[in-house]
Parts: sequence; structure tokens; C-alpha cells
Amino acid sequence: MQIIENLKVKEKLYIEKLQNGLTVMIIPKPGMKKKYMIWGTNYGSNDNKFIVPGEEEVTEVPNGVAHFLEHKLFEQENGTNSLDTLTALGVNANAYTTNDHTAYLFECTDNFYEAMDELMDYVQHPYFTDENVEKEKGIIGQEIRMYDDYPDWRVYLNTLEAMYHENPIKIDITGTIETISKIDKDILYKCYNTFYHPSNMAMVIVGDFKPEELLEEVKKRLVKKEASGEIKRIYPEEKEEIVKPEIIQKLEVSNPIYTIGIKDVRKENSNNKNEIIKKHISIEILLNIIFGRSSKLYQDLYKDGIIYGEPSLDYEFGKNYAHILITGMSSNPRKMYDSFKQRVKELKNNGIDKNDFERLKKMIYGNYVREYNDVQDIARMFLSDYFKGICSFDYLEEIEGINVEYLNQVLKDVFKEEKMVLSIVENE
Amino acid sequence: MEHEVKEIKKGIKFHILNSDKFKTNLFAIFLTTKLNRENVTKNALVSMLLRRGSKNMKSQEEISKKMEELYGAIFDCGLDKTGDNQVLKFYIEAINDNYLPKHDGNILNTVINSLLEIAFNPYIENEGFKKEYLEQEKNNIKQRIEGKIDNKARYSLERTIEEMYKNEPYGLYKFGYIEDLEKINEKDLYNYYIDLINNCKIDIFLSGKLDEDVEKLIEENENIKSLKERTPLFEMPKVPEKKDIEENIVTESMEVTQGKLVIGLNVNISSDEDKYTTLLYNSILGGSANSKLFQNVREKAHLAYVASSTYYRFKSIIFINSGIEISNYDKALKLIREQIEDMKKGNFTDEEIENSKKGIIAAIKTIDDEQDTGITYYFGQELANSNVSEEEYIKKIESINKEEIVDIANKVQINTIYFLKD
Repeated sequence: MQIIENLKVKEKLYIEKLQNGLTVMIIPKPGMKKKYMIWGTNYGSNDNKFIVPGEEEVTEVPNGVAHFLEHKLFEQENGTNSLDTLTALGVNANAYTTNDHTAYLFECTDNFYEAMDELMDYVQHPYFTDENVEKEKGIIGQEIRMYDDYPDWRVYLNTLEAMYHENPIKIDITGTIETISKIDKDILYKCYNTFYHPSNMAMVIVGDFKPEELLEEVKKRLVKKEASGEIKRIYPEEKEEIVKPEIIQKLEVSNPIYTIGIKDVRKENSNNKNEIIKKHISIEILLNIIFGRSSKLYQDLYKDGIIYGEPSLDYEFGKNYAHILITGMSSNPRKMYDSFKQRVKELKNNGIDKNDFERLKKMIYGNYVREYNDVQDIARMFLSDYFKGICSFDYLEEIEGINVEYLNQVLKDVFKEEKMVLSIVENE
Repeated sequence: MEHEVKEIKKGIKFHILNSDKFKTNLFAIFLTTKLNRENVTKNALVSMLLRRGSKNMKSQEEISKKMEELYGAIFDCGLDKTGDNQVLKFYIEAINDNYLPKHDGNILNTVINSLLEIAFNPYIENEGFKKEYLEQEKNNIKQRIEGKIDNKARYSLERTIEEMYKNEPYGLYKFGYIEDLEKINEKDLYNYYIDLINNCKIDIFLSGKLDEDVEKLIEENENIKSLKERTPLFEMPKVPEKKDIEENIVTESMEVTQGKLVIGLNVNISSDEDKYTTLLYNSILGGSANSKLFQNVREKAHLAYVASSTYYRFKSIIFINSGIEISNYDKALKLIREQIEDMKKGNFTDEEIENSKKGIIAAIKTIDDEQDTGITYYFGQELANSNVSEEEYIKKIESINKEEIVDIANKVQINTIYFLKD
């Protein structure tokens, strides 16, 4: 196995790409009782249009298939449900779907290999019937309805709606009650066979292990699969412009909830990994300079009772999208938004203060180190970064090379007023 | 993890949790006081005001800059309702010196001194809290109280608690009441605060890789020195008296697409030891994916995505939570009642018991692997005045048998059925 060591957090990553194409990553944590295993496929709610390897024609499936598959994979042919089996072992099992990957996982202290048997068995052996597919529609239907009642989720989806014309990032991961009604077992098998090939998958295991021995245990449990060609994913062409500058939804809330979205350009060819990481770190520093707890904007708005707490500051990106999201609660979101735009303008004109920069760079460094406390955080971070073509350690290394000039450039390139949208959820 | 406790002064304890597993040190101060209608809003305000500024860090901005300078130390405050107590919590989590890119002073030292100053030496003007800060925080609390309705599932739970504990401390909302705010001024609140820190129970926690003499650091801190000895005024959790109750059915309307059904159960235990059995009972009823509620309400009847139960050991109550189609209310309620009845009749297998035990034991074993969980665990022990090691805890769980669970099941009574619909 290849070993990558990071001296800052004093951790080692053991990584190997197996013959069948599966990437296995192991991060040993001596002394930890908790163990975490996650197995993911590079397939999420964005992947609705594709060409199956060996076929000519384009396949298009209803929204929500990746998430539906995540629910159904637990079902076994002998009538058992793997979630039950894993729970019975005393392990904490779960699964989740994002826009670019789906992952199956468990955390445990004891019975690791028994749980690994079960996880690797159910992920490799789908069993879908007309009956078990129909039944799931009721459960997922209630999951969709639950999200309908979350103002935070509504304000987020609306922001994407205001930013993107065609990009599937704006689709709700679960699909809608209408789209999931069209899902049947044939669609599920087709998507499973296309995307659940080892060459499209990666596994991360974190805990007190000897990596070489553990890798052999993984290999033993792999089902042999024929080599597969490349999956051609078809994403619609997306304009650089936003759709509309403002989007409002009426819901029963105590105070308006807002998200400011800033659409960024992310071209397929901008694949220089170090540049992506540097940009990501710079945006995190910038967001904190503009609207973090110590920022002038935050202090002023808090004093005036326009905001009540610090907003959450995020930069999300994938292969063909990137955007900033600033979310919080405000008594007057439009006033908050004007102040925000004003503050960005001032910073562009005056440049970033060197002290602010140095201080917040330290803070972001600390935030990255903190990620290495818990087996779950480590495993999820390495998996999700891997599907973006990134090794998580690189964030700790790239941060040193960032300077004020670079930050000022990113500020000018990304924080453009014509790329900003405001999404509000408020009372009638 | 080693856990050491030292009484620094009467009523003030220092807990040390030494472990080299973490990249961070976590320092926490908990102030525990009785929950009552008179003081609930004041406590909430005090908790909000202390984070606004201290003697030497006069504003939130100064505190934030200091934390950022310490490689993004995270300073946070919390307000909890634990049994019949209100707990004001203050935390700073900071990177351990071993993981800094270069040597940069003694971070732990600064962390300890900063948090002690924030909790015990606030920013004062004219013998009171700063008027401007108080007005802003009143506004902030008002928003939090009104914000109860934003998360409909949590709101339904809060309403159920209110219904179950009408006119009792536990029924109070931890952020207090809007009508109290007007009466509170900066001087009276400051006097109240002085009274609070003179009489509350104080617990100080430090978790992480601790090489230096941290005890000395605490003992020699000026803010610790100026604290008085006290006989702390707080409520020990007690075994609740059994009351004969009628089911209280409450239905309310709000703009929701999904109905939220919460059922509050009383568990009429007769001793503290029964709490371990109740934990296991709850796990079988609704505590995991193998539980009766998850299997029958979600997997078999497909009525819900969420169908679970949670045990609040400080009050010996269980809440059943579920999100359902509004028209399925009768069906879901009937099914949930059947699960409760099944438990009373002993309709569960040895396998279900064993599986639940495994889940609980795994959770106990992770106490050591998470800094905040470790602190929460030892604080719970501290409040209950018990000293059960993780090994003993596991043994207690392992030794429970079916008869004991059925016995608990028959001490369970439905107190309140709350339904939020459109």
C-alpha cells in the first residue's frame, strides 16, 4: 500500500487501488475503540442522464433514483434487512446520498468483521422486487414531507433554484412524490449495475488496525466483477448567469430565514487540484473576514438587531458547479443583504487587512486539524474529497502558500454582485 | 481515559479527563442552579450576557479575535434543562500545542484563563451589566422564544413537555418567557448574577492531553481564588412519585404538510437501579432500527420515516416521536399503543434483548473516544451523585433479564398524546 504521512496532524493514510478498480483508504487510529467503515459510489442525485458502458443510447432516469437505491440496498433476498442485522450486532449503521455520491457505513466498537461481512454483502447483492420497491415509496414519501416542513431546507433549495438554469444540483436529492412514483425495479437494477462497479467506488476505514492485514480482509469479501468501461455522464450546459436575483417562499416561521447565494464558475477543465484547494481555503478565509464572528459587518448587524447569531458560511463545489452559501435568520433580510453587498464593495476597494488575514488563516488551520479528532469525521472527509479528486491532507499543506494578494484576487473574481441571489423564507 | 475529581473549594469541583487520543483540549465550566419560574428568564439572560464581554475582553469582537488568534479556538455557551435544574455551560475547545504549525505560546493557559474570566468576571459598567448589551440580548432571547415554532418536530416535543409538567419546574421553557424581559434591568440582573455564582454548583472540566500541572493552573487563577465556598443549591434527581393519571390528548394546528405525533410516557420506577432496565426497555421499544416502533410503524406499515423513542433518565420519562400523514393519525396511534401493550405482555424475544444490550454497551464504550461525551457522562454522574465506572455500567446492562424488563413495561403509563396537524 502507498503511505502518505502528514506531519502536521501526525496521521498516516494507507491507500491502494485494487485490480478491480476499487480504491481502499485506511487511516489507523491506535488506541481508539471506535472503528468506522464507509463504502461509497461516485453516484448521486446529479447523475440522471448517462450512457451505460457498452451501450450507445442515452439513459435518462427519474429524479431521486440514487437515494431510492440507497434505501433499497439494505433489503436481502432471504427476507432480512441488513440494517436490522447490523443493528443486532450492536453497530451503528447508516447510509446517505449526496449530489455526487452515495455511501454505506457503520461505526462500532466490537464485532467489526461481522459487520464488515454484512456491509460488503448487501452492497454487492441487490435484491429488488415490485413489492419491496412499492413499499419503500410510502416511507420515502414521508421523508420528503418531513423536509417540506424544514424552512432551512426550503431556503437552501430555493437558492439553488435562483442560481441554476439546468444544472441538476438544484434537484432535491430525494426526488419528489411524483418522480419517485415512476421508479421501478428495472430502473434500480440498471442504475445499480452501471454505478456500483468497483472502479466507480471507494472505501475508507478508520480505527485501530494494521492496514496490510485489513486490506486482505477487504479483498476476501469482494465479489468478482468483469472489468467495465467508462460511464459517460451527461450534464446539461449551464449558463454563467443566475436565473433571478431574489426568491421568496411563505412559510410559518418566527423570523425570516435567508440564504445569500453566489454562483461561481466551475469548468470541467479547471482540474488543477492545488488551485481548487487554494481557492476553497481562500473563500473560507474571505467569508470569515466579511461575515465571521469578529467581522465589522456581523458586529454592526448584531448590535442593530438585524441578525441574531452568526450566519453559516459555506462553499460547495463539485465537478460542474460551485457556489457560496451564507445562511441565517434576520429581522430584515433585505437590509442585511444591502449591508453585505456594501461591505464586499468596500473590501474590494480597500483590499484585505493583513492582520485579519493572518488571524483567520490561523483559525482555518485549526478547523482543519480539529477534523482529525473523530473516526467518523475523518472517514467521511476522505471519501467525499476523494470523489472530488482531492486528498484531504492537502488542505493542511496548501494553506501556508496563501497570501493577501491571492485573497484579493479571489475576492474580485468570485464575489460579483451580478452572481448573487437572495433567498428568503418568511411569514405571510 | 483517566477521570480525576478534585474539590477545589466546597461546592466547586475540578474534573480532569486525561487522554492522548485527541488533537484538541476541551475546557468547560458548568453552573448548575434550581429551575424555577422566577429565575428561568434571568438565567437565560445571564448566559447570553456573559458571552458579550469580560473584564479584559470588553466586547464580543475582542473575544472572537482572541479565539481566532488561538488557531480558531471555539468558544461556545449553552443553556440546558437537566432534571429540575438549569445548567449554564461555557466551553472553549482549542488545538493541542502538539499540532500547531510552529511553537506559538501556551495555548491551554490562555484558554483556561479566558474562559474563567468570561464566566466569573464579566464586563461591568456602573455596578451593572452594560445596558446596551442587555437590551440586545433581551431582543435575542425574544427571538429564540418566538423561534420555538420553526422546527415543528422540536416544537411538538416542547409542547408535550409543557402539557406533562403544567405548573412544575420541568415544564418551563429553558430560554424563559417574553413577559419577564421588560421587568429586568442591568443592575438587578447583575446582583442576581452575583447571587448565582455565590450559590450555584460549579463544575469545571478539562479533557485532553495534559502534560502540565493543570490543577495548579486552576487553583492559582485569580477568578477561582475570589469564588466563595458554598453549599450548592441544586436539585438532585429523585425517583418520581407514582401518580394516577388520565391520558391527556392535545391536538393543535399549524401550517404543516406532515403531522407530528409525540407521546409522553411516565415510567413509574421504584429505585435508581430501575433506570438501567428502563434504558433497555426504551431501546427495545423505539431506540434503534430493530425496535418495535421502527419495525412496525415504519418498515411494516410504512406510515412514517421517523418512528422512535427517547428516554430522559433525569425525569424518568419516555417520548415517542413520529412524523405521519395527517389522515393516518388513528392508524398510527393504534399501532403505537399495540407496541406499548406488547411490551407489557412480554411479547419480545431474548434475541431482541441481546441485540439491544449490544447497542447500549457499544455506546458506553465510546464515552472515552469523544471529548464532549466524556464530559457529559461524568457531569451526569456528578449530578446524580453516583460513581459508576464504564465497566460497572456495562455489567449492570448485561445482568438485566426479561422479567425485569416486563416489570418496567408494566410501570409505563401514557401521560400525554400530542398531535400537530394542519
